[in-house]
Amino acid sequence: MKKIVVTAALLSGVLSYAGGFRVSLQGVKQLAMAHTSAHAEDASIAFFNPAGISFIPNKLSVAAGGFGIKSEITYQNPSTLQSFHTDNPIGTPIYAAVAYKVLDNVSLGFSFTTPFGSTVEWPNDWAGREIVQKIELKAFFFQPIVSFKLAPWVSVGGSFIYARGTVDQTKAVTNLGGTLNILDDKASGTGFGIGFYFQPDKNWDVSIAYRSPVDMKANNGVATFNIAPSLYPALNLDANGQDKFKAVLPLVDEYTIGVTYKVTPKWLVSGDFNYSGWDRYDNLTLDFEKAPAGNQPTDPTISVTPKNFRSTQTFRFGSQYMVKENIAARIGYYHDESPYADSDFAPDSPSFNANVITGGLGFKYKGVGIDLAGAYNFQQPRTVNNTYYNFTGQAKAKAYYFGLGLSYNAF
Amino acid sequence: MKKILISTIALSTLLFTVSCKTDFDTDVSNIVVTNGNANFTKFVSVGNSLTSGYRDGALYSSGQMQSFPSMMAQQMKLAGGGNFTQPLMPNDVGGFTSLFAASGGKDFYGKLTLKVVNGSLAPTPSAPAADLDIIGGAGKSFNNMGVPGAKSFHLGAAGYGNPAGLSLGLANPYFVRFASSPTASVIGDAVSQAPTFFSLWIGNNDVLSYATSGGSGVDQTGNTNPATYGGNDITDPGVVASVISGYVNALTAGGAKGVIANVPNVTSIPYFTRVPYNPLSPALLGANISALNTSLYGPLKQALTAFGAGDRLNLLSATSSNPLLILDTDLPNLSAQLTAAFTPTLGAATAAAFGQIYGRARQATAEDLILLTASSQIGATVPGVPANINVNGISYPMANQYVLTKKETAKVLTATAAYNASIKAIATAKGLAYVDANAKLKELSSFSGLQFDGVKYTATFVTGGTFSLDGVHLTGRGYALIANEFLKMINETYKSTLPMVNVNSYSGVTFP
Repeated sequence: MKKIVVTAALLSGVLSYAGGFRVSLQGVKQLAMAHTSAHAEDASIAFFNPAGISFIPNKLSVAAGGFGIKSEITYQNPSTLQSFHTDNPIGTPIYAAVAYKVLDNVSLGFSFTTPFGSTVEWPNDWAGREIVQKIELKAFFFQPIVSFKLAPWVSVGGSFIYARGTVDQTKAVTNLGGTLNILDDKASGTGFGIGFYFQPDKNWDVSIAYRSPVDMKANNGVATFNIAPSLYPALNLDANGQDKFKAVLPLVDEYTIGVTYKVTPKWLVSGDFNYSGWDRYDNLTLDFEKAPAGNQPTDPTISVTPKNFRSTQTFRFGSQYMVKENIAARIGYYHDESPYADSDFAPDSPSFNANVITGGLGFKYKGVGIDLAGAYNFQQPRTVNNTYYNFTGQAKAKAYYFGLGLSYNAF
Repeated sequence: MKKILISTIALSTLLFTVSCKTDFDTDVSNIVVTNGNANFTKFVSVGNSLTSGYRDGALYSSGQMQSFPSMMAQQMKLAGGGNFTQPLMPNDVGGFTSLFAASGGKDFYGKLTLKVVNGSLAPTPSAPAADLDIIGGAGKSFNNMGVPGAKSFHLGAAGYGNPAGLSLGLANPYFVRFASSPTASVIGDAVSQAPTFFSLWIGNNDVLSYATSGGSGVDQTGNTNPATYGGNDITDPGVVASVISGYVNALTAGGAKGVIANVPNVTSIPYFTRVPYNPLSPALLGANISALNTSLYGPLKQALTAFGAGDRLNLLSATSSNPLLILDTDLPNLSAQLTAAFTPTLGAATAAAFGQIYGRARQATAEDLILLTASSQIGATVPGVPANINVNGISYPMANQYVLTKKETAKVLTATAAYNASIKAIATAKGLAYVDANAKLKELSSFSGLQFDGVKYTATFVTGGTFSLDGVHLTGRGYALIANEFLKMINETYKSTLPMVNVNSYSGVTFP
């Protein structure tokens, strides 16, 4: 048995992000089971469904964890025979949650997560440098939560979302002979989450949750043109080659239905369906204060880039088997869709249809849980035919995830 | 349970290895480039400045390294192509010292670079870096046979590379540099290399020198003897057709395949489109508008109207931008009439000067092309002219050399169309790959331009990315767009699979 478990763990290298810049890594235990949601064993349920905290068996529960993402995107152009691949740093999504039963039927909680982000570093001289050379998107979600048990078998919960984030992107401006960096590390936005959680009997868990979109507003962005100073006046830039900009980046909403069924006392299976409202991201508008660096005939300081994302569905299947009383082995599979067509392939948020296998182990000692998870992302290569940029070719990707989570359930 | 777990894992492993393809069908590193039914072993490129890699008003080494034939040769190397030798200039500035001096500092300067002049960017010529260097001679050959300034009929002219012919205007210094002998012709030197593949792009200068001189030459259509032409004349289309046909026959005699390109319209080139016909905004003219109208435009309009030519100009508008005042040598000369009309008010002497200056003056229209060279002259003081009427383009008509009028433009376009019809016919008859460079530059000069990997290129001067600082020749990126057109048509015609070049990786305009 030990061997098999080890094999499973190795197999499940890690998982990747198909869906735009949504990074579905908010629970290590959950990831091991394809990131399914209906698991109310500890506070890590908080992000998945605020109502779930009512069903945590203990009065106080704390959970935290972190992941490593190793990914590489390769682009090749059969027309020029050129090939380039990214040199992305290891991404590190993290989460922490706490839940406390104030009364028998009232629970309070707090969740901290990084559910959106993307770090892509292409070589500076790569073919798509006019689109992006380097991008770092980060969003931190802070969610206070309250949940009420309406009956022993059902709860309702809600959360308020305060999000804070960074956008930092560098691209070439070839005709000006330089680069443009846009940076705002104080973007923010708000939203909410709501959910119902059911335990109709001891064998079933049903989780229904909705998380609203969060519009990250970058109001104090700085655009830095790294170009010849003789061009500053024509672009209305200051002595540092800078201008201000505003932008709104939508972090999209997500509907989740999850079910867990205990086949035997030791063996459970889970399934999830996610619907993500990526159609909200139809374009990205950068509003420069003075620089005529845009593309709108009526106002050359406004740049509108079509994104044409479309909403996506994700199907997840996971399973857990208690190898011993305090050792759990977990595996999972999910299928994730890319939120855009080949004609909208965006190398700043490279996405692929993906089949992901996951796996992991959980150990329990008294109230303390240690979870390990990994995933390997089988991303389908795709044709790149971005008509807006006249950028064509093919792209493929590799991604592994691994995670380490801790939980503590007290009294 | 154990079994279930094992089989689940085994099954998933199997499923994913089989169905989860994560690699490209073909990695580009495994693609074999093929030559189809062409043979790229010996590629020789014949033409003018566009073939040589000339840009920024000069031929200089780094520019030559990004000539479109050298880019093509790089790709041909992947399909059996050989080395591609170019007659590289000895420096990266260009120009010829003695010839520069002999021209009074007008021609053969070093490359133009952008400099900040009076707070704005202006292309500024460099001093020539060296004197003419002879790198040719017996036994020397060069794959790039692009000779800046060559007209169609020059390529076949024996002695076009004879140093002794320079002072007589019979030789071209760029060919003098690398000709195999003083009696050689460009086409002869090309053919003697026994090319297996050639490119021929010629005919541009047969209209261009007329156009860039503001139509100061003669349209020689109908005159089939080039020996009688002046330097700025339009070549007879029959001459162009017959010489090109002859070159193609000579080049293909040994079985070589090749590619031939047509001539772009001057209306696609920023040299002719950069300066608007009506740059005189009310803000620019300021308080002078009423004075100009009262003392110059008003009386002129009145007098011209009396002679039935009132449509030559209108009073200056204080609300919208005004056209330049230009000299149109095709207009009936009303000098005598104007002199007579103004004599009572201005006195005989001044009236005579008025008549002289405004006899063939009119305001430009949207159909006139103002040349790039005019930009530094508009609003400048014209020497030797009375103080109140000496502002170029405003109170003094801009000279012929700064304007290609509607009528002159039409002559250029008519000749270009005739050349292009012949070039296409020759290509078809000989089964050559045919590049419609005219169509490509039209696309480039459209408002939307064209895009390569996200970079938007237009024919806009300096900022469009494709035209160099002389406004006629291309940048490395512009030449790369052309190279891709050539490669595309070669692949189409000869079933080869030469890869395209990455346009954005070549050089554009450098900003200080």
